[in-house]
Amino acid sequence: MAAFSMRFMVILLLTMLPDVLAQASALQKKTAQKWTAQEFQPSTLNLSEQMQEMSWFIEASKPYQGMQIRVVSERIATHWYEASVLAKAFFEITGIHVVHELTGEDDVIKKLSAQILTGQNIYDAYINDSDLIGTHFRSGAVVALSDFIKAEGADVTLPSLDLQDFIGLKFTTGPDGKLYQLPDQQFANLYWYRHDWFNRADFKSAFKSLYGYELGVPQNWQAYEDIAAFFSEDIKEIDGQRIYGHMDYAKTDPSLGWRMSDAWFSMAGVGDRGLPNGLPVDEWGIRVEQCRPVGASVRRGGALNSPAAVYAVDKFKHWLTQYAPEQASELNFTQAGQWPGKGIIAQQIFWYTAFVADLTKPGLAVMNSDGTPKWRVAPSPVGKYWQGGMKSGYQDAGAWTLLKNTPLKRRQAAWLYAQFVVSKTVSLKKTLVGLTPIRLSDIESDVMTERAPYLGGLVEFYRSYGREVWTPTGTNVPDYPGLADYWWQYISQIIEGKVSTQTGLNNFAAAVDRHLARLGESAPGRCAPMLNPLSEKGFWLNRSGSPKPAINEHPAGKTLPYLEAVDVWK
Amino acid sequence: MSGNSKNSDHVNLLSNQINIRLTSSCKAAVCIFLLLLPVFTLRAEPINILTYEESPYALMVGKTQKGLLVDMLAELFSRTSLQYKLRFIPLKRAIITVERKSGYCVLPIVRSQEREANFQWISPMLVSRYGLYSQEKRSIPLVTLNDARPYKIGSFLGSGIGEYLTDLGFDVQLTSLSALNLQKLKRGRFELWAEDLISAREMMRKQGIKFGRPELVFYTSIRAMACHRTMPVEQLKELHSALLSMYQDGFMKALYLEYGVEM
Repeated sequence: MAAFSMRFMVILLLTMLPDVLAQASALQKKTAQKWTAQEFQPSTLNLSEQMQEMSWFIEASKPYQGMQIRVVSERIATHWYEASVLAKAFFEITGIHVVHELTGEDDVIKKLSAQILTGQNIYDAYINDSDLIGTHFRSGAVVALSDFIKAEGADVTLPSLDLQDFIGLKFTTGPDGKLYQLPDQQFANLYWYRHDWFNRADFKSAFKSLYGYELGVPQNWQAYEDIAAFFSEDIKEIDGQRIYGHMDYAKTDPSLGWRMSDAWFSMAGVGDRGLPNGLPVDEWGIRVEQCRPVGASVRRGGALNSPAAVYAVDKFKHWLTQYAPEQASELNFTQAGQWPGKGIIAQQIFWYTAFVADLTKPGLAVMNSDGTPKWRVAPSPVGKYWQGGMKSGYQDAGAWTLLKNTPLKRRQAAWLYAQFVVSKTVSLKKTLVGLTPIRLSDIESDVMTERAPYLGGLVEFYRSYGREVWTPTGTNVPDYPGLADYWWQYISQIIEGKVSTQTGLNNFAAAVDRHLARLGESAPGRCAPMLNPLSEKGFWLNRSGSPKPAINEHPAGKTLPYLEAVDVWK
Repeated sequence: MSGNSKNSDHVNLLSNQINIRLTSSCKAAVCIFLLLLPVFTLRAEPINILTYEESPYALMVGKTQKGLLVDMLAELFSRTSLQYKLRFIPLKRAIITVERKSGYCVLPIVRSQEREANFQWISPMLVSRYGLYSQEKRSIPLVTLNDARPYKIGSFLGSGIGEYLTDLGFDVQLTSLSALNLQKLKRGRFELWAEDLISAREMMRKQGIKFGRPELVFYTSIRAMACHRTMPVEQLKELHSALLSMYQDGFMKALYLEYGVEM
């Protein structure tokens, strides 16, 4: 009797199962409709296309329902939106619970390294800056997404993902042609200035009489320095408030290293011509031959302690101490980010556009009452070693990264979430929240045209060639986690006055060379480092390209009106 | 075996060796002493490691030091030529001591970007997951961390996770000791308690309080050993290399299992 009852119950359940599943699926679709109509607007897709994507997610997620997935990213507005809103939507729509953790980028890198080192599956996916592309393609620890989506990831890859729509794919592709990371958010480092102050007739006239040329967007470092001196030393106060012609940060902290490695050396002209990072010497001063890093010091063909690098650091230190607020030397990246919004800074040589959302909040001292900003972003001025055809600045591309030691099922579920937060259904809304665009379709949308006057030049930048020449760290850097720490540790010694700039950079370059040698010995491979022999310093300096010999001339300051300055991006 | 007893044996042995040689010939003894001086100096100065009571990681049972970290440290140092002394003091004081005094380390602490430049690091020592617990009879469903924003969250002074939540703008109430938070949660002084899962389970067991499973496991930290900035590079390398070998040969996995946790 009991066996009969059990059999009956099983048959009953099996009979009911399709109905139950259909009801659950209908409920998920209803939930998706709610999210699509109430949250995922505007979108470059129409409502019906959005629902097609959502229906695909519902179906593809079925084998993973009930799982809890853990991912991690840095702490910027875009990721906060993902962690708080999109993860919740994804859970309600698919039944996969994603815990999207937020932390500092430095910590993201340390966690990723720890997972590779220990083999413990700490996270199922990482949103990690594409600066690590040189590490990832060499490591053998990172899943090549271009392989994954054709094989074990095929059933969980969104048919309308449209990879070609992503503007940052070249930053996440290795020299082997494989895609290792999928961009999730991008932001650039651009020149930031008070457009309203620069257009004041009294300031324009005073600047011209003092410096002999027009006050405008600086095209070179001399002009930037003149403008810094003009506001910090000549103008000094506006409406009784102390103002400054320069802002920066220099606390001994990992973010001091990024200040240098992200763009400073590339703007100075330390590297070679050639995009995205300069070939054969990149903006880190590392020379590669084929794909092998062969040295960072001048005596091995690198440029990390070259005259251009000394010039770059000297200018950083001089402007910091001479023109920035006194507190600047004690601030880190996050703390300094709030300063332009106070309304006392005239210009900043480069400024992370990840802060656009924060700096366009109504009521700020740098906002007009009609919602337009008093500031603009423009191409950063370049140093005297910079030449046409070189990288012009830094762009950050936070990108989805899967590790091979994550169990396949967890990796597949995480990949579903990764695609959800970059899907065309949600990406335009996410772009409007965090202002870190990744898709060409979003950038070219009418919605962004309407928003452009309120974003200080961000849209103009992303619609231009600028997005190609503002680039992340490239493939010359074979061990970003291991080498990135050297930047702040050695540069801080120079900033604190413990060593001269040349000595500090010599020490730094020697440390990088030693690190490259160790890497080459510990993990030999086709693209592993192999140091050039030591040569006389003049050997490399007398050849064309980087490392470049000292330039003793001081170019005259050059500025352009805003509209002409942004024409450079076209 | 605790790290302390191992270390004192080692120091005594070295002292005995030197005493014997001094009595045989003064000249030879001076030479030998000078030869041994660098080694002796290195070995005679054990690294002072500070930790705080956080069962089951580190705890005092009578006069004996016990716990996962205590065992881990013993193994770590046994794979190096270095010695150590382990002491228990409150976390906040431990961190300040290590910031100020060379020859000191503290563990386990969260290796955050803000702390990075203040110390030299040996990592990863512990991978910890943090949860938000509610009262047993009051369910607070949380899908994302942001869902916890309307509530008061309990943590303890010096805790990295408390700092993290405060930085994110949450209403965090700090106590001097983590163990006090259980009673506070029970009495409704705050609605959610933020704690590392393993410690929380152990504290609940000890205090006979059941909050059940956390409402949300919201954060993962890599906890590390932070040492004074002047720690010699050679010592750091030796400790790093020993730590890596403990992961690679399966020691860590076995140790975690011994404490009922899967890595």
